[in-house]
Amino acid sequence: METLVINTLNGLSWGMLLFLISMGLTTVFGVLGVLNFAHGALFMLGAYVCMQIMQIVPSFWLGLALGPLLVAALGVLIERYLLRRVYARDVSFQLLLTFAILLVLDDAVLILWGPAYHVVEAPPLLAGVFRLFGHTYPVYRLFLIIVGPMVGIGLWFFFQFTRWGRIVRAAALDREMAEGIGIRVPLLFSAVFGLGAWLAALGGALAAPQQSVAPSMGDRIIIESFIVVVIGGLGSFPGAFVGALFLGLLESFGTVFAGHAQMALPYLLLAVVLLVRPRGFFGREV
Amino acid sequence: MTVVPLLKVENLSHHFGKFQVLSRISLEIPAGALTALIGPNGAGKTTFYNLISGRFAPTEGRVVFNGRDITGLPAYRVAPLGLVRSFQITNIFPELSVLDNVAVPLLLLHRRGANFWRPLTSEKAVYRQAQQQLERVGLAAAAHRPARELAYGDKRLVEMAIVLARDPKLVLLDEPTAGMNPEETDHMIRLIKTLADTSGTTFCLTEHDMKVVFAVASQIAVLHQGQLIAWGPPEKIRNDPKVKRAYLGGSLDA
Amino acid sequence: MPATPPKVGGPLLWGGLGLSTLILCPFLLPTYWTLVLTEIMIMSLFALSFNLLFGAAGLLSFGQGGFFGVGAFAAALYLQGGGGSVWLALLLGSAAAALAALAIGYLCVRRDEIFFAMLTLGFGMMLYTLAHNWRAVTGGSDGLPLFALPPLRLPGVAVSLYSPVSLYLFTLAASLLGALLLWQVRRSPFGLILTAVRENKERFAFVGGRVQQVRLMAFVIAGTLAGLAGTLLCFFNSMATPDYLHWTFSAKPALMTILGGSGVFLGPAVGAAVFFLLEQLITRFTESWMIVLGAILIVVVLFFPRGITGVLSERYRRPRRPRP
Repeated sequence: METLVINTLNGLSWGMLLFLISMGLTTVFGVLGVLNFAHGALFMLGAYVCMQIMQIVPSFWLGLALGPLLVAALGVLIERYLLRRVYARDVSFQLLLTFAILLVLDDAVLILWGPAYHVVEAPPLLAGVFRLFGHTYPVYRLFLIIVGPMVGIGLWFFFQFTRWGRIVRAAALDREMAEGIGIRVPLLFSAVFGLGAWLAALGGALAAPQQSVAPSMGDRIIIESFIVVVIGGLGSFPGAFVGALFLGLLESFGTVFAGHAQMALPYLLLAVVLLVRPRGFFGREV
Repeated sequence: MTVVPLLKVENLSHHFGKFQVLSRISLEIPAGALTALIGPNGAGKTTFYNLISGRFAPTEGRVVFNGRDITGLPAYRVAPLGLVRSFQITNIFPELSVLDNVAVPLLLLHRRGANFWRPLTSEKAVYRQAQQQLERVGLAAAAHRPARELAYGDKRLVEMAIVLARDPKLVLLDEPTAGMNPEETDHMIRLIKTLADTSGTTFCLTEHDMKVVFAVASQIAVLHQGQLIAWGPPEKIRNDPKVKRAYLGGSLDA
Repeated sequence: MPATPPKVGGPLLWGGLGLSTLILCPFLLPTYWTLVLTEIMIMSLFALSFNLLFGAAGLLSFGQGGFFGVGAFAAALYLQGGGGSVWLALLLGSAAAALAALAIGYLCVRRDEIFFAMLTLGFGMMLYTLAHNWRAVTGGSDGLPLFALPPLRLPGVAVSLYSPVSLYLFTLAASLLGALLLWQVRRSPFGLILTAVRENKERFAFVGGRVQQVRLMAFVIAGTLAGLAGTLLCFFNSMATPDYLHWTFSAKPALMTILGGSGVFLGPAVGAAVFFLLEQLITRFTESWMIVLGAILIVVVLFFPRGITGVLSERYRRPRRPRP
């Protein structure tokens, strides 16, 4: 019983983090039509910038608040000066561009902070543990489990019910029409890309106290978020939610039951979904 | 002894979400009967084609082609059975030469598509047939030009040649004369009529030009708001009050 | 007559001249440059195989390094396990890569362009993780060293591949073979089918073509040749390392192809040569090669998408020769 609960909590906390990042990926894709290969690098940057801020002012909350905003600003610059130039072009070139940006960001992190792992302390408020079935369980993980859905619901609310949210959705559905009725789509696209970057970086900052901040952070997360959007359906929030939770739980229980083969589980899941239902749970017809 | 109709559609319906696009269409196309599918814009003609040709599967109903149930089969499986279509927006291979455009379906027909070790130039039979197809539609002179360089009307002829390459039994033409000038329209219609009379292929076309429809069709189906409101020979359709009303009281005499 | 395949840049004369030059190089150049040229040829083959997918089929794969690495490891395992035939090592490397490409390709072609790119990255990294972590078989992050490279057995003579000249000539022969195969594929009926699928996959399906099958076939051919290139690099470096399977390695043929130009058959080879020269230059100043690679790719994608050969062929466009 206790293994069940602990693994579920682990799976949920990782799943919620994954959900946050996948939301960013899927939003950018849904609105701009661009799959951002550099999304994982933005996640990593979020962690590093947060860590850097904490080295100046030792406050996780400041790092959490400010870090993702800085990365979001970088995201806006990337969209404005690089991505915007390839919207009209073949999809392959858009992908190549985001991939190139990934290479640049990955190496930039190495240059700026070196190859060593860094440790970020959780804030005192969340650094504690509580007793669960005679074991201690970190409070921080519970925090993650709560934060994820909160951001998710907030975002969903924004897109469904607010004026700006509806404008974004309109632009996503029909760019020409939106421009025709006076919506400044280029500005909007920059903002949405910035939002995606913010979500990724927020995930990174949140992940920092839980896992070490390292240059290969982005590798794992981008592949896992790819898997999430494939199984959940690209462009779908509920899909990202279900997919992320599923993957998180699968990995968590996998460490217990599958041992070394645990690393293959996400890929196995991917393969099964591709064979059985290529469009994913909530995706549209392939 | 009953003759099996070439195409038989039973209670074909389709909806996208809450929007019902087609409702319970039932009709038959006998082999050799040049059929016209008419109706105002949005009546569901293209959707009808999409469902039959395998672009997507209908939410209800059956499609039986040449005695075989093809309901919901994807396009790549329907075409080899002898049912092909053209598109409203010309759908060809722009960077390939006109001749190569026709060679592609022929390579598939002869199962030579997977051959990756012999040169293309050795496919003499395929290219001979491709040349013949081009002569049939009147494009032989343009054989080596890249298809994208051709005039709009000629591009539609390329699509015609592609579609006819596999000697199909039934060809669905989606507005074959759309956007053409009178001369091109004339050429296309005469081509269709000639092919309908001389080859073993049955044609079905959607059209807005009533002159054309009444000149060539031996039977007409009228769609309106997703429903089949009339079906039969031209005289019957011409005098049908429902049809007249569907066209907003306008006359069917051009 | 069918349309001409992508231009090589001239008739038999230029080809013969080029080949003779290549054959003479190792005898005329200092060893250092012979080695560089050997590596350029290997990566050219890799990039050419990438371009079968990218330029011909219109598919962007970020996982070709996976098959390259599978080829390298298969060959290394065979040779380290006591295998004595270099030919067999080449064959095994290519075959192993072919199988991996078949399995992974089968899954990846089920989705379209964007997903395809994503999935190839994912599965490529899956292979990387496998190679990186399976210490017992692959040596983990240290890789698998080749302690003994058997001599190349030709009719009547056994040639040691430890000499840079013989390794160069052997690599030249193998890469040339691979390149010729790719050339032949482009000129074949399958090559036309590939172009048709890239041009208009809907039209292709509606004349009875199976898009997934075509793409899978291209993927397997590309993967096999990537594996061949991997085997050659394994011989060259006397080692197979998991780095070959990481996406940063998969980025190399992509960059070389875009740099050289995907529209011309030898474009990727030109790109490979330029890439190496750039690398020589830049590593004199800095160790951070990836950031430069990324920056160059950005510039090329934004401003020179047709690559070097694309720009050149536009500048020096010759009038089209009349066809028979």
